[in-house]
Amino acid sequence: MLTDHQADIESLLVERSVEQFLYYEAELLDNRELHEWFDHIADDISYRMPRRLMRENQASAFSEQGYYFNEDYGSLKARVERFDSEYAWAERPPTRTRRHVTNVSVSEDDDSLDDGELHVESNLLVYLSRGDSEAHTFYSARRIDTLRQTDESFEIADREIRLDQTVLDTDNISIFL
Amino acid sequence: MAAGDIPNSTAQTLQAARESLDEGLFPLEFFHDEGLHDLEMERIFAQSWVFIGHESEIPEPGDYAQRYIGDDTFIFVRDESGEINLLFDSCRHRGTEVCRAEQGNTSHFRCPYHGWTYKNNGEAAGIPQKSKAFKDLDREEYGLAHVPRLETYEGLVFASLAEEGPSLDEWLGDFKWYFDVHMKLPEGGMEVIGEPHRWVVDANWKTIADNFNGDSYHTAWAHGSVVDLELGGEETVGHAGTGESLDRHIHCDGHTTSMRGFEGEDVFLTYPDEIVEDLFTKDDLSEGQWELAKQALSFTGAIFPNFGFLHFGDTTDDPEKDVAPFFTIRKWRPIGPDQMELWSWGLAPKNAPEAFKQRMYKMYTSNFGPTGNFEQDDVPIWKSITEAADGQFAQSQNLQLNYQMGLEWMSEMDIDDEWLGPGFAYTENLEEGGMRLFHEQWYEMLAGNDRTDATGSPINVTEDR
Repeated sequence: MLTDHQADIESLLVERSVEQFLYYEAELLDNRELHEWFDHIADDISYRMPRRLMRENQASAFSEQGYYFNEDYGSLKARVERFDSEYAWAERPPTRTRRHVTNVSVSEDDDSLDDGELHVESNLLVYLSRGDSEAHTFYSARRIDTLRQTDESFEIADREIRLDQTVLDTDNISIFL
Repeated sequence: MAAGDIPNSTAQTLQAARESLDEGLFPLEFFHDEGLHDLEMERIFAQSWVFIGHESEIPEPGDYAQRYIGDDTFIFVRDESGEINLLFDSCRHRGTEVCRAEQGNTSHFRCPYHGWTYKNNGEAAGIPQKSKAFKDLDREEYGLAHVPRLETYEGLVFASLAEEGPSLDEWLGDFKWYFDVHMKLPEGGMEVIGEPHRWVVDANWKTIADNFNGDSYHTAWAHGSVVDLELGGEETVGHAGTGESLDRHIHCDGHTTSMRGFEGEDVFLTYPDEIVEDLFTKDDLSEGQWELAKQALSFTGAIFPNFGFLHFGDTTDDPEKDVAPFFTIRKWRPIGPDQMELWSWGLAPKNAPEAFKQRMYKMYTSNFGPTGNFEQDDVPIWKSITEAADGQFAQSQNLQLNYQMGLEWMSEMDIDDEWLGPGFAYTENLEEGGMRLFHEQWYEMLAGNDRTDATGSPINVTEDR
C-alpha cells in the first residue's frame, strides 16, 4: 500500500510520461515520420473524427453518423502508406505543420479501461501552411485517447478527435491529428 | 437581359472566347476574374436551378438547415404540414438573419433584434406590441420571403431565384433518364447519411465544374496514389482510353456523365449480391436503364451549373478488405473569383441494412470529401489553376487552355450508334466535349441568351433515340 505522498508521485510520473509521449508523437507527425508514428498505433485502433454540428442551444454537438475519419488499423495503414506514393499530390511538397499539445489530463480509473490503459485528453492546435505562400490555416481540436502502456512507450488504442470547426478552412485534411 | 448590359470590353472578350471554344480553346484568365464573377452571380446563379438539399435531411416537421444560393442565405425547412419551404433568412423588419444554427428543429424562427417571430412556413406569427406600434401592418404581407421557385426531383430539392424560366423538369431534360438510375435503382430510393461536409477552398468554381464534366483523363495521374495502393481497381481509376471495358462519355441536354463498365456483364457497381437481389428493382426503371445499371462499374457527372455526383464501385479503404460502392452528390458554391465552398453528401439506399449503409458512408469518406484519398489530391490542383489565372501574364499573353481532346482533327471519336439512352455517347472516354459544352452554356448565359443556345459541333446531336 502506497502512502498518499508516494501515490501522488506515481501519478505525476504517469502524467509526465504521457505528456512526453504526446510531444514525441507530435514531433513524429510534424517531421512526417509517418511510419514511425504508425508503430505506435495499436492493431485494434479506432481512430475517429466526427463531424461537429452547430446547434442553437448546444456548445458541443457531434454527428451520430457523419464523420471525416472512422478508421481501423487497415484503413489507417492505407492512409499512411498513400503518402509514400509520388502521386499523393496533397503532400508534395509536404505541408508545414506544428502541433501544439496542451491541457493534458490523465485518468487511470475509467471503467472502460483495461489494465495498462489510460484515458488521456488533450487540446491540439495545428498550424499548417503549404506551397510557396504565406497563407496558413489552423486546426483546433480536443483529443480523447485511450493510451496503452508498452514496454518502453505507449500505443494509441483509441482516439476521437473533436474538431472545433464546422466549416473547414482548408484544401483538404491530408495530415493526421 | 440583353448582352448590351455588359461593358463593351468584357462583351468583346467573351465573344472572342466563344469563338475560340469552337477551336477547343478557353482563356486561362477566366478562372480568376472579378468582373466575370459578378456576371456569373447575376446571370447564371440567379437564373439557374441550384441544388439545395435532399428531403431526407429534414425528415420531421420543424427540421431545418441553412443553405445558400450564391451570396444569399436561406432556411431549408419542413413546416408543420410536412411541406418543404426555402425562406430567405432575413427579418422583414430590419433585415436581421433569424436562423441562428446550421441545422435543428423549431416551430418558429425568432428575430433576436426586436422579437419578430415567424412560423416554420415563413408566416409572420408575432410582432411585439403590434397593436400599439404597428397597428395597420398586415401580417400576411410580412412573412419571410419564399424563394421564387422550389421544385423536387426524386427527393433532390432545387431552387431558382428567377421568377420565370424553364421548370426543373425542363432544366434536367432527358438527363433524368441517367440520374433516375442512381435514385430509383434501390427500392425505396436513396437517402443522405449524416450531414454534408463543407469546406472553403481558394479555387474558382469552374475548375471543379470542368473536372466533373467528363475528365476521365486525370484519374490515373492525379489519383495515381490510389492506383499504387490498390484502393481502386485499374478499371475504375486507371488510364482513360485503354480498357476493353464499356467506357462512355455521355452528353444529354447540357449535362454530362461519364461511365465505366463491362459490356454484357452483371456488375451493378459492385453492390453485394444480397443488395442487388433484395433491393434493386426494375419497377421504376426502363429496360435500358436497368441494362445500364447492370453493366456499370462507376459513374461521374455534373448537372449545370454547380451540381456533381460520383457513384463508384470497386474501391476500398484498405487493400485487405473487399471492395464496396459509394454514392456522393455535391455542390460548389462560388464565393468569389478565387474561392468556393464545397458541399458534399454521402448517400446510401434507404432500405439497405444499417451495416451496409455505414460501409457505403465509410467508402465515401475514404475516397471523397476533405479526407478522401482521391479528393485530397484534387483540390490543391484546382487551387493552382486559379492562382495561375490571377495576375497579368495569362491576360497579356492571351493564354488559351486546350480542350481539343475529342475534336475531329485531334482524335478519332465515334458515337455509339447502339447506345441505349438519350443524348449521345462517345465510345471513348478520351474526349473533353462535356467541358466544352459546360463552357458554351456558361457563355450563353453570361451573354444573356438561353443556355440551350449552346450549339458547338460535335457537341449537340439531336437525333432521337
